[in-house]
Amino acid sequence: MSFMPHSHDEEFRLNTPDGDALNRKLDRRRFLLKTSLGLGALATGSLFGMKGLSGDKSPSLLEPDANSTEEAMLAAIPHFAPRAKRVVYLFMAGGPSQFETFDYKPALLNLVGQDLPDSIRKGQRLTGMSASQATLPVVPSIYKFQQYGQSRTWVSDLLPHTAQVIDDLCIIKSLHSEAINHDPAITFFQTGNQLAGRPSIGSWISYGLGSDNQNLPTFIVLVSKNAQLDQPLYARLWGNGFLPTRHQGVQFRSGKDPVLFLNNPEGYDGTDRKEMLGYLTKLNQLQNDLYGDPEIENRIAQYEMAFRMQTSVPNVVDMSNEPQEVFDLYGPGSRDPGTYAANCLLARKLLEKDVKFVQLYHQGWDQHAGLPKNIARQCRDTDQATAALIKDLKRRGLLEDTLVVWGGEFGRTVYSQGKLTATDYGRDHHPRCFSMWMAGAGVKPGFSYGETDDFSYNIVKDPVHVHDFQATLMHLMGIDHEQLIYKFQGRRFRLTDVHGKVVNAVLA
Amino acid sequence: MYTAKLLTQYWLNVNDKPGPMIFTDIITFLGRFHPLVVHLPIGFLLMGAVFNVLSYFPNYRFLKDAMSFTLLAGFLAAVAACILGYLLSLSGEYDRQILSQHRLSGILLAILAGILWSMTTALYARFIMISKKIVTALCIALVLLTAYTGHQGGTLTHGSDYLSLETLTYQVREKPVNAEEAMIFEDVILPIFERRCEGCHQKGKRKGRLIVSSHAQLMKGGKHGPVLEPGKPDESELYRRITLDPTHEDFMPTDGKTPLTKSETEMIRWWIENAGAAEGRKLSEVKGYEKMTPLVASLLKLPGARPLPEPGVTTMRAVNAAIPPKTDMATVSILRQKGLTVRVMLHDPVMLDVTMPAKSGVAMSDIEKDLSIVAGNVIWLNLSDNNLTENDLKILKLMSNLEKLRLEKNPVGDRIVDLLSQHQHLEAVNLNGTLLTNSGLARLRRHPSLQRVYTWDTPVTETK
Repeated sequence: MSFMPHSHDEEFRLNTPDGDALNRKLDRRRFLLKTSLGLGALATGSLFGMKGLSGDKSPSLLEPDANSTEEAMLAAIPHFAPRAKRVVYLFMAGGPSQFETFDYKPALLNLVGQDLPDSIRKGQRLTGMSASQATLPVVPSIYKFQQYGQSRTWVSDLLPHTAQVIDDLCIIKSLHSEAINHDPAITFFQTGNQLAGRPSIGSWISYGLGSDNQNLPTFIVLVSKNAQLDQPLYARLWGNGFLPTRHQGVQFRSGKDPVLFLNNPEGYDGTDRKEMLGYLTKLNQLQNDLYGDPEIENRIAQYEMAFRMQTSVPNVVDMSNEPQEVFDLYGPGSRDPGTYAANCLLARKLLEKDVKFVQLYHQGWDQHAGLPKNIARQCRDTDQATAALIKDLKRRGLLEDTLVVWGGEFGRTVYSQGKLTATDYGRDHHPRCFSMWMAGAGVKPGFSYGETDDFSYNIVKDPVHVHDFQATLMHLMGIDHEQLIYKFQGRRFRLTDVHGKVVNAVLA
Repeated sequence: MYTAKLLTQYWLNVNDKPGPMIFTDIITFLGRFHPLVVHLPIGFLLMGAVFNVLSYFPNYRFLKDAMSFTLLAGFLAAVAACILGYLLSLSGEYDRQILSQHRLSGILLAILAGILWSMTTALYARFIMISKKIVTALCIALVLLTAYTGHQGGTLTHGSDYLSLETLTYQVREKPVNAEEAMIFEDVILPIFERRCEGCHQKGKRKGRLIVSSHAQLMKGGKHGPVLEPGKPDESELYRRITLDPTHEDFMPTDGKTPLTKSETEMIRWWIENAGAAEGRKLSEVKGYEKMTPLVASLLKLPGARPLPEPGVTTMRAVNAAIPPKTDMATVSILRQKGLTVRVMLHDPVMLDVTMPAKSGVAMSDIEKDLSIVAGNVIWLNLSDNNLTENDLKILKLMSNLEKLRLEKNPVGDRIVDLLSQHQHLEAVNLNGTLLTNSGLARLRRHPSLQRVYTWDTPVTETK
């Protein structure tokens, strides 16, 4: 800021009637407000078990704030010693079938075509898509399974690359959800509630833990461009809900320029942009003093982030330094920006820069019909890059403190939706049980948890609810899911609502 | 009374509107005077009865004339106490059975007082002649009724065990000399129930209509039938409730009260299964009691105790006790100002995750002193890609509680091993892209705590 050819010596003033009133009132009001609230903050701090050591966040009498209880709550984080520093969440949108991936059910081979027994279905309501079917013929996986790794885990032939890293994975076969359709189910997984409007996991993490890299967003979203677009995704899945907007997931575009307009337009060298933004910030701060709208602060923060991203993003998305061997590892597509493989590679680079929460979405897993053909394509598009991400993170030592999550929003039915033939069948939505895996920081490697019955219809051992999964993820990041709370419209909200139990058995 | 009820119902029904809401508050306010006002009729009526008795003695014959006024005052006070008492009962905070008895006897008391008073008036005497002895008998009845009503009221506010014969006759059981001699129900099981359950499941409260104060009452069960199935703990509602997941709606004890310990639930399970959920049985009388003696001893705090391990909070990993509980946060701020990223991983003890950003240009000599102040608190350290050599890293020796160390992409070689030999908690070291060789790795392999060493892109040739 030393070079300022047209700097202003006087303080900015808002020359509006509102601004005049503010100028007169400010000193008196601020004094009263800050002294009274400061004492209140001291009193409420103890409510949240604040330890007083909070990095640079601890409230003091000199800098009190209307949100002091909130600050005290945040200052108590982390509640546990974290095992993971970053998360990469590979979301397989559409609901991947557990039968053709990880939940091996050999007993079904003897039951092909038989009607699903009532003793298993127990009168469960089906979706409108298969409820009117005359029969519910049981169908096993058309693909074979083999055992892999030292853990001798059964993996489908569709996932040969994942099978190679099976000893690094912690597979949970007993996930269950409450929603049977895509939108509520994905929203439930990402925000803890079936209805839209709550913050997503990444936003909660960003809100609770802040950033480890001031030059990149804390929460970045990458959506595959090469997926079958069967069910839609929507920005609210990585939305901040009622949290301050700077915690929203930042979606990178799936193409050559992940972030647009980073380069200066022709004829402008950008040298005085920092100065310009400095004045803009001052103006925004005046506005903030006048109206106290917290969104103004967010706007200031986002302008500054955008400015820093002008240099940080080109740096991190630049693949020219990656050797051929890396592209070979991630497989075909990894040189084509926006594909799942390229996104996996980009995710690794973002994690290397300590971006805290990277979420990939890959659509196309909703196979109501033509499942054998379609799931093979889905696996082909994702299997190698997924395994490559694990291998790459592992050899770089990043799996030490990075948590990798793979999974969809629900599972699929044991019975065929539509006509069952020797080579073709479909599967309907099934929220009662499905498989997911986690790998890396703090979870048991080469471990399987939970069991389903012979039809993979009901869970017979160690059920894990979506809220339990969320609680476990938060726990690994050092957060007690019951303690990260945001008060909105008079009600206190959590990611896990009033539920959720940490799944201790999967913790290393 | 009926009108009052009607009015209150009206008030209660519309109490979401601001105006009538005030009336329900007034009801509660007035109702709370009941415990005060209630002592007036007690005093007046007792005095009336005393006057009546004393008036038999010639010296006190004049008291006969005071009786009428005293009884009138008592009657009016009793009516007032009834009204206020009714208002208080609307708060619904009382045991309904005792309350209805108290209400009935209170109203009878007021009526009786009114009748007695009318008998003493001149008007009454003009029409009906009544024997003085009958009046005296009625006075005594009135006093007894007052005592009964008062006791019911006391029970409502203080609980049934506040003033009861059981308190008088309660016997403290003598502690058995050893576990074998202990009576399973009387010495072991009942105290558990008294400790954990009796707060709600007792004569006064009877939550779910279950009382755990005696074996007979336990066997009677609660609202939903028997709670104990002798020989079948898994079919016993009581055992099911105390062993559910604490977040389950049916879990007992409810409302965040201290749950039973593993030792206690296990003892109850064994009692139901092997001792037929019976009373009056010595431990040594039951087959296979031997394995239970250490547990019984622990519950009775006798020698030879061995409680069951509590499942407890396994979510918390054991934290290295050597980590200093506090650290100098001013130094942490200085380190941050000097360009390091310092994350607080835990507050108690303070665990720090320190990162020197890649190619930061921060000189180790500049931060060495600051780092040495917080060295014991540094648990994770990331110094990757900062062109550091072993000579820059002497500070590592002070970081005795280090668990994870990242040194990748620095020109360090085998000498780094010497700096790490004293770290007893070191779990993982990242030496990717360094100059580590096979011999350095071989020495690291002998490190007592180290579990993972990353050696990608180094001169190391051996495969993992």
